[in-house]
Amino acid sequence: MEVVDLIWLVIASPLIGAVLNGFILPKNNKALSHIVGVVAVGVSFLCALPLFLKTIQGSTPGIQYGYSWLQVATLNIGLELIVDSASTLMLMIITGIGFLIHVYSGGYMAEEKSTSRFFSYLNLFVFMMLLLVLGNNLLVMFVGWEGVGLCSYLLIGYWFEKRENAAAGMKAFVVNRVGDFGFLIGIFLTYRSFGTLSFSELAGFLDEQVVLSSEQLTTLTAIGLCFFVGACGKSAQIPLYIWLPDAMAGPTPVSALIHAATMVTAGVYMMARLHFLYYLSPFTMTTIAWVGAITAIFAATIAVVQTDIKKVLAYSTVSQLGYMVLAAGVGAFDASIFHLLTHACFKALLFLGAGSVIVAMHHKQDMVEMGGLARYLPITHKVFVVGVLAIIGFPGFAGFFSKDEILWRAFIFPNGGFILWLIGMLTAALTAFYMVRLLCLTFYGPNRSDEHTRQHLKETPSVMWIPLVVLALLSTFVGYIGLPPVIGHVFGVPNYLASFLGTAISMPKNASQFWDFISAPHSVLLEWVLMGISTVIALLSAGVAFGLYRRGPSPLLSDLSERSNRIYSLLLNKYWVDEAYQRIVVTPLREIAEFLWKIVDVRLINGFINFIGHLLLFIGGLISFQMSGNLQRYLILFVMGFVGLLYIAVAI
Amino acid sequence: MIEWIDSHILSLIIFMPLLSSGMVLVPSDKYKAQWLAMGGALITFLLSARVWGIFDSSTATLQLVEAYHWIPDLGIRYIVGVDGLNLLLLVLTTFLTPLVLVSVWNWQQKYYKSFLSLLLLLEAGMIGALLAFDMVFFYIFWEVMLIPMYFIIGIWGGANKIYATTKFVIYTVFGSLIMLVAAISIYILHFEEAGFYSTSLLDLYYISNMGANTQALLFAAFALAFAIKVPIFPFHTWLPHAHTEAPTGGSVLLAGVLLKMGTYGFIRFAIPLFPEALLLFSPYLLGLGVIGIIYGALMAWMQRDAKRLVAYSSVSHLGFVVIGSVAILNNRLSEEALTGALYQMINHGISTGALFFLVGMLYERRHTRMLADFGGLAKVMPWFSVCLIVATLGSIGLPGTGGFVGEFLILIGVFKVNSAAAILASTGVVLGAVYMLSLCLDVLFGPVTNPENSKLRDIGATEKLYIFPLSALIVVMGLFPNYFLAKSRESIRHLSHHLMDYRLTVRASQASKDTALLATSRSRQHGDLP
Repeated sequence: MEVVDLIWLVIASPLIGAVLNGFILPKNNKALSHIVGVVAVGVSFLCALPLFLKTIQGSTPGIQYGYSWLQVATLNIGLELIVDSASTLMLMIITGIGFLIHVYSGGYMAEEKSTSRFFSYLNLFVFMMLLLVLGNNLLVMFVGWEGVGLCSYLLIGYWFEKRENAAAGMKAFVVNRVGDFGFLIGIFLTYRSFGTLSFSELAGFLDEQVVLSSEQLTTLTAIGLCFFVGACGKSAQIPLYIWLPDAMAGPTPVSALIHAATMVTAGVYMMARLHFLYYLSPFTMTTIAWVGAITAIFAATIAVVQTDIKKVLAYSTVSQLGYMVLAAGVGAFDASIFHLLTHACFKALLFLGAGSVIVAMHHKQDMVEMGGLARYLPITHKVFVVGVLAIIGFPGFAGFFSKDEILWRAFIFPNGGFILWLIGMLTAALTAFYMVRLLCLTFYGPNRSDEHTRQHLKETPSVMWIPLVVLALLSTFVGYIGLPPVIGHVFGVPNYLASFLGTAISMPKNASQFWDFISAPHSVLLEWVLMGISTVIALLSAGVAFGLYRRGPSPLLSDLSERSNRIYSLLLNKYWVDEAYQRIVVTPLREIAEFLWKIVDVRLINGFINFIGHLLLFIGGLISFQMSGNLQRYLILFVMGFVGLLYIAVAI
Repeated sequence: MIEWIDSHILSLIIFMPLLSSGMVLVPSDKYKAQWLAMGGALITFLLSARVWGIFDSSTATLQLVEAYHWIPDLGIRYIVGVDGLNLLLLVLTTFLTPLVLVSVWNWQQKYYKSFLSLLLLLEAGMIGALLAFDMVFFYIFWEVMLIPMYFIIGIWGGANKIYATTKFVIYTVFGSLIMLVAAISIYILHFEEAGFYSTSLLDLYYISNMGANTQALLFAAFALAFAIKVPIFPFHTWLPHAHTEAPTGGSVLLAGVLLKMGTYGFIRFAIPLFPEALLLFSPYLLGLGVIGIIYGALMAWMQRDAKRLVAYSSVSHLGFVVIGSVAILNNRLSEEALTGALYQMINHGISTGALFFLVGMLYERRHTRMLADFGGLAKVMPWFSVCLIVATLGSIGLPGTGGFVGEFLILIGVFKVNSAAAILASTGVVLGAVYMLSLCLDVLFGPVTNPENSKLRDIGATEKLYIFPLSALIVVMGLFPNYFLAKSRESIRHLSHHLMDYRLTVRASQASKDTALLATSRSRQHGDLP
């Protein structure tokens, strides 16, 4: 057995865990459910580790063939897994962070009667996510793509006794299906144009074309846009981001794993997988960059005024995903994946930290009722501070490196690069503001909860805080594997991540004509200046927020918000986007459907059919007097009919 | 013995249910009748499994053929055979029937034995129509299917049963009479061209000098009959009534197999008999199919009665099958789409069958099917919920279920032929999620508001016996589609590639003595029969 064969164990282990917890093991043994869930992902991680190390040593991408899944005409889809730097890095994120979150879940779900269903879903999710990133084929990827959507649906609605939770799950599924609609059309177009759905074959085919005809480029643009619609669904970009805030109805570990660290980054990963196609379509890329940038700032403004701790983090996630999409759009797929990695660490940390707070607060999530929790939850507080420093891009922490890499790459983008940079920079300032606001409202100032809650406030058990500490360490140090060249140069440290990812994601030769600005010489000084500006502004913004909120909800701000009532309520109500969708899409569709049903179907079509029936009855009634039972009369009619027919026959 | 069985296996499969249908009426004891019915259905299933096993997937020729003269002067024969186009449907039929029998095992209804007898008669009719390669025989079985269904809905149906069943029968008979006229016409046309009478489909396929107008007219006549059966929009209004009023078992077979007779009719009769007419009609049928997909989905979304919702979902799903069957480009049917259509017939039979069973369980417990009367059942009936969710996922075509494979193949095939139709049809993927997940939301989730729901019992052993195999199949067909598709691959390829050759599709690989019976003289003069 070769090392690369371990890949089958990597994906089989969580599936086995899901089946064990779902169908075989006893329902009410919580400890057992937890152990099985954790071990399944742990084994997966341990098997993935050698694969990751092997790709670091520069082994060539390997494709592992399972079985022929679907073979019709020229379509031949096998269960093929691709093992290269991009996919093994994702394996590390999914199984590594996934493992920590599984461990943590044991504590978070401790009050449940049974957790076998929960861990079964969670393991199934890991399996589907692995399938998504490992598939060497658009269709296998799509299986994972919709598979994670299913798990997300089941887990958002995990506490289904509350109808809103189940409804939120359904909303997530349906909105994602709109994205998947785009993905599907992309698959159809790809198959029609290239006759294959395999990534490696597609890349090979496109690489061979030294010069592409304008017709081919148009097709590639269309394909790229279709897949991007899919990415908008899964990675919560405008206009399909609306499901993600609602998805917070699920248990918090689910939000951390699915709706922050892994599933929502699938769109970003998919675009990186298809980089050879996207590089060939500058128009698509520009669209992607702008959608990403606008999503980033749009979601960040909403996050500024929310008071539900998970809602703030949800909008923050939408905003951060916007950064990743922006990076992909400006052709910086390595920076995009880098931010995916750092974000997975610090956002998982922040969500799990918020989860600890929520457990301590007996499932109250409104920050207005919190405050001063640093005293009661010292460990959670400390790691949370690390998470905040990482996300706001405090120099030296993970988010700093990845965010600045993205901002710089946006800046040099020719199609509106400066504005993209400006938007990104302002978003960074907003991020610093709302995250420090969140930190202050939760942990500092006087405690505002009721007496009963306050008496029961205590630090979470070690099963929960140990994963937090590990994530805090990652959030601090993971950035150093991808030092931007301008910084790395000073210390003589190369950008390990970029060269590692370069084996899987590199600019195809025939596309380089569109992207020569990337390799063009740039002023190092300018890069330092820009970095300085964005950092200073973010820190200033953080300082302002700290000043305003360190003693609790700011009287100054509530005063301000009353005066600028319109803007405040616009943000508080999330720009009324949900209401707009309801009014523009859902209600009209419902009315059309109702009209079609009550008028067209029941009255018109069915009415017409019944009318014919009644008409025949009526005519039958008119001529039924002929049925007199008089044999001679029948005979006469018969002869008349026969003569008539004969006449017609002869005439013809 | 085995040899004799193998050489008569298709006839045995047709007449076994017919025989049991009569025998169940004999004993006065209910249990003996039950076991007789079950025995007959199981033997039929085992025989069809044997057919599945000995079927040669490497060829498109007609297999296990039996042919006898019936009325030689008129060229009417008894011909049955199996190829890649009807094999899967055959096994689906023989598989669903015993499950339906299990589902009525503890029934306390009046005329129980007659119900069993009619059910088996229905099975015989469906199998006969699937296997027949003689026009007259096909027509007889086609009508035989109607009679038991008429009584099943009319006697054991719901409040509005008479209206529903009358509508169902009159509508269908109207279609089949028009088909009969068309069938007689091609019979005469064949005689004019070949100089001898034959109702064998294998002879009729050879008619080559039909004028374009004649082809169009005859195609339209066949298509109308099949369109009513499918049903294709706007001929669908009998369906919600028939489904809603029919007893569970009737609905399962109606949705599972009967509707497929329409789409099968297209693939076996209308399309290969009149290929040039298809070129003319294909865009319209694609259009009606797409309308059906969207319209059916919107209708389903509006329903407050679970059973009616599932019924309308069939209109939407069968729309996919229709567009998959008629996608033609450069004189070739799209292989992908046709394969998808065939696969989707099976998937729909299984997932919709499961859905009707599940709705039936709800009705049995609560005597209501209104969505508003339920809620929170996931807590009370966990196994029921698992099955409902699996069936829902199959129905909305989630990857990993058979439904996805079918829909995907249809859409990718149609996209090459007519991308606008495929894109519009793909919206059905979104709408499907809307109405089916609404059903789940209303029935399974939320708080238990009605105290009557709080003490419902979960599905019992008997119910598991028929719902588990269906649920499992939904997944198995999604994970291993090649196992099933391999059986039809050659037949589909042959039909697709040789559609315009007028010498179709199904040729028999049988000893020469039968060849004469299958298709008279001309086959010899063409010299292409082995």
